[in-house]
Amino acid sequence: MQILQKNISDRELELYFGPQHLGMVGNFSITLKVQGDRIVEATANPGYLHRGFEKLMEYRTWIQNFPLVCRINVVEPDHMEMVYSMAVEKLAKIEVPERAHYIRSIYLELARVGSHLFGLWAYANMLGFDTVAQWSMYHRDLVLDLFEELTGGRVYHIYIWPGGVRRDFPEGFKDKIIKTLHSIGGCVPDYDAAFFNNRLFYKRANGIAQISQQEAKKLGAAGQVLRATGVKFDIRKIEPYAAYDKVDFNIPVRENGDAYSRVWVIRDEMIESVHMIFKLLDKMPEGEVYNKIPNPFKWNIPKGETYARVESSRGELGLYMVSNGQDKPYRVHFRTPSYTHGLVILEKLLKNASIADVGNTMISLYIVAPEIDR
Amino acid sequence: MVKMNKLLKEQLESAFKGIRISIPEDTRMIIHAKKEQVLTILKFIQNKAYDHLALISCVDWIEEGEFELVYIMSSYLQGNNKYTGKEKVNITLKTRITRKNPEFVTVISVFENAEPYEREIHELFGINFKGHPRLTPLLLEREYEIPPFRKDFDTRKYVEQVFDTIPFVEDKKE
Repeated sequence: MQILQKNISDRELELYFGPQHLGMVGNFSITLKVQGDRIVEATANPGYLHRGFEKLMEYRTWIQNFPLVCRINVVEPDHMEMVYSMAVEKLAKIEVPERAHYIRSIYLELARVGSHLFGLWAYANMLGFDTVAQWSMYHRDLVLDLFEELTGGRVYHIYIWPGGVRRDFPEGFKDKIIKTLHSIGGCVPDYDAAFFNNRLFYKRANGIAQISQQEAKKLGAAGQVLRATGVKFDIRKIEPYAAYDKVDFNIPVRENGDAYSRVWVIRDEMIESVHMIFKLLDKMPEGEVYNKIPNPFKWNIPKGETYARVESSRGELGLYMVSNGQDKPYRVHFRTPSYTHGLVILEKLLKNASIADVGNTMISLYIVAPEIDR
Repeated sequence: MVKMNKLLKEQLESAFKGIRISIPEDTRMIIHAKKEQVLTILKFIQNKAYDHLALISCVDWIEEGEFELVYIMSSYLQGNNKYTGKEKVNITLKTRITRKNPEFVTVISVFENAEPYEREIHELFGINFKGHPRLTPLLLEREYEIPPFRKDFDTRKYVEQVFDTIPFVEDKKE
């Protein structure tokens, strides 16, 4: 941390809590006004990763945007692909075959598990639980191996396509998913013993960055931040997409609304996702995985506008898209969950917190910087 | 759900004059309103339990000389976590302002999380939101003559001006 300005009279210091700090999530910074150890005011400064994706997409054809759209969120590109595909399908009125719906759901749930493991890595690392952090990073890598076999890419997959998915499961892939998930699921007792039931984690996270249900709703929260306050708000249940209406699943909630509850919601969600993948694999029908789309080089989508939304692993991810009948989108605007969490809720929660809790607050709110900047 | 939409449509049409409502999908409702009506309509919709502002967006319709502001709202779960079908519905409120005089009022008094969205639109489209507490730069680093997300801003030309053209590898060898 770097001291920018010192006001001796009222002893208020301005601290720059920037990307170099260990407790910081990616390229993001907060300017803190502190009195002693107490934060008087916090100002979030995004913009380190602003690449202007929404403007760039206006210059590219509908199909050229697929490799772009997944790069908006580095940690979980798959939900970005899904929401863009959904919006294109809605505008161009493309049907998706049944099997592709199931594959999409399985793929998105795998992405959720991978993303949550990454989040757990960040959180455990920040608290000093290095062993747990290494475990979760290893297990995330196992999920990435699955993605690599399915799509050819480890991080960016470009797999979901308008009209379905790019290719079917390779031979024996189903068994590989089951094997990998069993080996991850088999370690849940270890995770519980080392981290989730650990007294240190409880002491460090309980009551930190607490937000009430009423306030969370008022500030436009979604995802774990809202579910940790007891609201079962999940787009997968509310407005089912892909094959989420075909399987039965629970939405884990907690009541307290603090960092402890949020991390527990993330853990329960991971387990629920694994169960859901098994259920989906059992039910998966045979058949085609994509419907033919028009020639993508001469693809004009009729005039119109739409709003599509999915439940990404961080909350409600939406896309407002306008077409004016050309081969390129006229306007694209993403509603990313970290935007409200990182710019509105974070500033509110940091007021009157102590400096030691800044990292805890940030990571437990599950903020990803590239999602804010776009 | 269709019934619910119809009911809300009738209520809105009787309460506000001169608005146009269309229902393109079962789960979507689009309201076109005049700019003076926006605040009262937002309050009205919020009181009807559509209390979750998901997004504020802006579209630059350059040929018509207008900016279109888009407010997308949906409903949080009401009561004890039971799904009623109401939360499925997205309400989109649209209003237009002239490009020559890009000014509008802030809606922070109704939805508190509108603050960063309006700040972003101010920066990227140059729309001035009256009553907004801090219209300071959010994402961008440089000053721009034309706000960069407007349609008359040419990205390619700007890049050439600021960063110069990158020479081809063959030319470099000379």
